[in-house]
Amino acid sequence: MTAAVFGKTNGTIPRKELVQGGIGIKSYVLILVQLGLLTLLLRQFQIESAAFIRLALLAFCGFAVHALLPMRYRLPFFVALSLAGIVLVLDIVNSVWIVGIGLVLIGICHLPVSFRIRGLLLLIVGSLLVALRAKWVEAPALDAIWPILGSMFMFRLIVYFYDLRHDKAPVSPVRTLAYFFMLPNACFPLFPVVDYKAFRRNYYDDDAYRTYQVGVDWMLRGVVHLILYRYIYYHMTLAPSEVTGPAQLLQYLVANFLLYLRVSGLFHLIVGMLYLFGFRLPETHNRYLLASSFTDFWRRINIYWKEFMQRIFYYPMVFRFRKLGTTKAMVLATMLVFALTWFLHAYQWFWLRGTVLLVWQDVLFWVVLGLVVVANSLYEIKYGRERSLGKSGQTWRNLGMVTLKTFATFWFICVLWSFWTADSLSNWLSLWSALGGQYTVDALICPAIILAVILAGSVEGKGLRNTRASTQDEGSWRRTRLVTVVSLLALIAVSVESVHQQFGAKLATTIHSLRSGHLSRLDTAKLERGYYENLLSVDRFNSQLWEVYTKKPANWLDVQNAGLKRFTGDFAQTELVPSFVSQTPYGTLSVNRWGMRDQDHELIPPANTYRIALLGASSVMGWGVGDGETFEALVESRLNRERATAADTSYEMLNFAVPGYQPPQQLAALDKALTFSPNAVIYVATGRELSRAMSYLVEVVHKKIEIPYEPLRDIVRKAGLDPSMDEATSLRRLEPFSIEILSSTYRRIVEQAQAHGAVAVFVFLPQVREGTWQEETPETLRIAESAGFATIDMSDVYKGQDIATIRLAEWDDHPNRRGHELIASRLYDELQKKRETILKPASHAPKN
Amino acid sequence: MTDDIEGVVKDFVLKEFLPGEDPHELTDSTPLITGGVLDSIATLKVVMFIEERFGITLQAHEVDSEHLDTIAQIAQLVRAKKS
Repeated sequence: MTAAVFGKTNGTIPRKELVQGGIGIKSYVLILVQLGLLTLLLRQFQIESAAFIRLALLAFCGFAVHALLPMRYRLPFFVALSLAGIVLVLDIVNSVWIVGIGLVLIGICHLPVSFRIRGLLLLIVGSLLVALRAKWVEAPALDAIWPILGSMFMFRLIVYFYDLRHDKAPVSPVRTLAYFFMLPNACFPLFPVVDYKAFRRNYYDDDAYRTYQVGVDWMLRGVVHLILYRYIYYHMTLAPSEVTGPAQLLQYLVANFLLYLRVSGLFHLIVGMLYLFGFRLPETHNRYLLASSFTDFWRRINIYWKEFMQRIFYYPMVFRFRKLGTTKAMVLATMLVFALTWFLHAYQWFWLRGTVLLVWQDVLFWVVLGLVVVANSLYEIKYGRERSLGKSGQTWRNLGMVTLKTFATFWFICVLWSFWTADSLSNWLSLWSALGGQYTVDALICPAIILAVILAGSVEGKGLRNTRASTQDEGSWRRTRLVTVVSLLALIAVSVESVHQQFGAKLATTIHSLRSGHLSRLDTAKLERGYYENLLSVDRFNSQLWEVYTKKPANWLDVQNAGLKRFTGDFAQTELVPSFVSQTPYGTLSVNRWGMRDQDHELIPPANTYRIALLGASSVMGWGVGDGETFEALVESRLNRERATAADTSYEMLNFAVPGYQPPQQLAALDKALTFSPNAVIYVATGRELSRAMSYLVEVVHKKIEIPYEPLRDIVRKAGLDPSMDEATSLRRLEPFSIEILSSTYRRIVEQAQAHGAVAVFVFLPQVREGTWQEETPETLRIAESAGFATIDMSDVYKGQDIATIRLAEWDDHPNRRGHELIASRLYDELQKKRETILKPASHAPKN
Repeated sequence: MTDDIEGVVKDFVLKEFLPGEDPHELTDSTPLITGGVLDSIATLKVVMFIEERFGITLQAHEVDSEHLDTIAQIAQLVRAKKS
């Protein structure tokens, strides 16, 4: 290669000696080795998605070529790589749509007409896109591209147009394409608002090797944030109903706020990757947990957003209001910036999700944050704030003061964050009743750890932020290198199963859990409920559940199947609409005249027929498969084909499952099933039975629905539930009775079935999900056995299968056709094993 | 005159925002906005100061790290406005 590429650039580098984009051969190899380790780390911890790992590989291989190219070819190469990345993550058709629409938007910005007309045209085209996104105009071909198209253009187009209007720097088409279609964006709907000027100005403005190295450091930092996030998400988050004392309350507050690590981790990964291509952008977050005031917090967290709001809105507003006096102008502009932040938050949600997000908690959160930032700003205008060039000595007194202020700010933000992310005001208020709980030493653990971290973090570092890496002295630079390489090796080593197994079962299990991304037990429960509810708690940008929902098409089955159920006005609340028929992409969904998703059956069983009634929820009903493809239909057909017990016996399986039914609702389904004189009743449980039974009782109490079952009424009485009580408090009160609720439900099913001469069978069938949370399963099986069920445990029915091939979709973990075949095959085998007790001959006559 | 602008701005920044700092540590190329020394409030104070001191008017879009990040850039902007 040329000397311009392999320039002599090691060591502390005077700027005049820099060769733009040049890198020494040793440095080049060193970066490649670290990128190799980083790839291994991403794979070991399955960071983000498989698509991201493919994209990272493309970026790292692209870097190997890009770093050696002459400067004039690098930006075009980056654009080509970025476009290849879009094709890699989406597909060619979607990529053509994204690039096509993007080129139209960019083209409008450059039309040879006045800026006013260009702005007007952008608004017109934007309105058309709004209509398409909101589904006012149907455009199914665009369904898959909205989140990524939105994340590329919703803010960057504003920045670009603003700069085009005011900046005199010449525009390069290649740079513009690089700015909008920048490489990592294809994988991340939530993307930092990169400033166009910084993107243009800081391109290869420092030693190339050190720029690349900072990129590697930041990507590693991003991975560390994401691993920490997983720990918090899987092991520290609590549901409001689990907050029973001060220790849990503090854990809840801290864990809730620390979930933000996901955003900071992703942003570090994204910007670190851009560094590999010479874009020396500013840091996206600056140790935001160490903010010592509200203004400091606003300046440290999501810095790109703050810069965006400042440049595009704050300064222009201050200048406009200056005649009111500078202080008044600042206050007014700050409040408007926070109001706009709320609005743009909803605007972002619209482009990513296609619906309007209007949650009053959002409004209040930004109002409160805006007010405290204004108050803080006024204080700073009057009294100033301490600033430093990072070279002066720090006194103990100063360290103590900063630590205390930071500690107080941290907790205030935690409380505010908990309010923002709460399901409802009543749930948030109920959290505080935990302060009346028992004060134990545990309550000191969280504050003590936070205080220690803040104290250590508040020790003043040397130097300013965002300085060029080439100005860092050699000794400190080498130390940083050592830390990066050792951290990479250590994390990779820890991720190896044979290594972390040496740390003891508990720690090994925890480390193992961090090695893959999946929903936490709380989000899993929410997802299960979310098919049938419009959960506002999903509306959070840092939620993994939200991400799953983002991918869910707006016309998913729950919309197509609207009309499948109707209200009954009693304890069951809903039932299938008799004779309902719907055509879905997965086949026909037909309901028979009795309200069963099944073929037609007579009320009285034909002679020599062994009839099995199946109770369950959506998986049993066959959500996402066509008629005749449900495991119920497949087992029925096989039983008849193979005449499992007696040649003259026919088998009928009657599907009484209703989507969304919780354990207590199955009592109503049972009453209906027994009128069809079954020989056996199979109750199919899909997990989390204890908590779902509790939640259902809370729901009926809140809705003032009469409970027709005395044992359940009695539990509600004993727990002291009241319709006016908030959900979290109700759940806390019911918690001690959770086993009793399920036991009495199961007992009634068994007793009623047996009273009608039917065998009661319990089948455990998990949802099709990776990293399933089955903490309630052993207890559920035990309760079922105690109640008198013949039990069949199919927990491992999906073992050894690629989950993606047997579930309906990432956002819908019902079994697909292949999944149903798998279940049918297993259930058939299990029934055969127990045929003596379950598949009795048809001569057995049930009592009516 | 060239030195005056840099000197005047440096004196203002030291006095207003960095009291007690060693003046030698603040150079013409020290990043003030991106380095975290000047936040939005401080940046507006600098804007008001240079407008008043040098009799110039800045536009809102000029208030950014491209024009005001270092003392050298501030001086360059002032010179461009005055010429």
